[in-house]
Amino acid sequence: MLFEDNNFDVNMSLFIPDLKFSRDSNILEPMEGFLRGNMFRNEYKPYKNLTYYKLNPKNEKEKMLYKIMALSFAINDLNLYLDLHPDNKETFDLFKKYIQDKKVLVKEYAKNYGPLTLDKTTGSKYNWIDSPWPWDGMGGSMYV
Amino acid sequence: MFKYVKHTNFPIDIRKKDLKMAKYLFSQFGGANGELAAALRYFSQKFNMPDDYGKALLNDIATEELGHCEMIATMVHQLTKDATVRELEEAGLGGYYTEHGKGTYPTDANGVPFTVTYFAVTGDPIADIMEDMAAEQKARAVYENLINLTDDEDVIRVLLFLRQREVVHFNRFQELYEYYKKKGYE
Repeated sequence: MLFEDNNFDVNMSLFIPDLKFSRDSNILEPMEGFLRGNMFRNEYKPYKNLTYYKLNPKNEKEKMLYKIMALSFAINDLNLYLDLHPDNKETFDLFKKYIQDKKVLVKEYAKNYGPLTLDKTTGSKYNWIDSPWPWDGMGGSMYV
Repeated sequence: MFKYVKHTNFPIDIRKKDLKMAKYLFSQFGGANGELAAALRYFSQKFNMPDDYGKALLNDIATEELGHCEMIATMVHQLTKDATVRELEEAGLGGYYTEHGKGTYPTDANGVPFTVTYFAVTGDPIADIMEDMAAEQKARAVYENLINLTDDEDVIRVLLFLRQREVVHFNRFQELYEYYKKKGYE
């Protein structure tokens, strides 16, 4: 269903922004920015009446993967902004925080479910080749 | 140097086979305004950007666009996965099947193969970045055409994400353009 307010547990601790980023900060929380495809509140331009959709992870693995994807997205979008505004301290601090948050999750994900990057293939088995590869369907499980 | 990350840029999980939509989506893979053209355009132009702002921005957007190529090809793959030859033929993909089987080849929506003549590298930052701004607007328009062609939410949600990225990239390129104009580039 289309929805205006994201209710994908954005309140989980990882997505609570730094205190200095108040709720009216122009920079959105990673999960909300990710769902919108845009980390910047004032730049967001929906098409017609279509906003964005909710994700419904079916298990812990998917939930963790979406958190990682949201953080990667946030890092990438802040990266593009910082390329042109390298002296913006608030954005840079947030960028560094998300990199740290992601680092922890990516390590845990690799341990539990397999590596997302080749250099996390360090367990007892060479599991880099294991399915699913990103282009394989999940069998219609991730959305309501 | 590039390193692969084993997830798509945004979740894609399409449940319903839709060969017509797959045919249209090829536009954003190998079409004139598609993601492959975008990735190669910025990747090639970055070598002649005059300062660190331009080098960084074109490099980083090119990298993201390559991930978007993977997203579009993933959608096409999932939409066509269980199709029979007869169904492909009925959806207007008989010619495509003849040339490429069920492989994923970069063409536009009409089956015309990708060509680098879709983009320019002039060596002039103003001319190149102006093209980049236009490219983002054209890609946004094509995403809107594609959204109008389907009512499958599994497809629409991904197209909305990709469309929004065009909006953001346009804004960044525009900032860079204005900065270079101010610096005195023609």
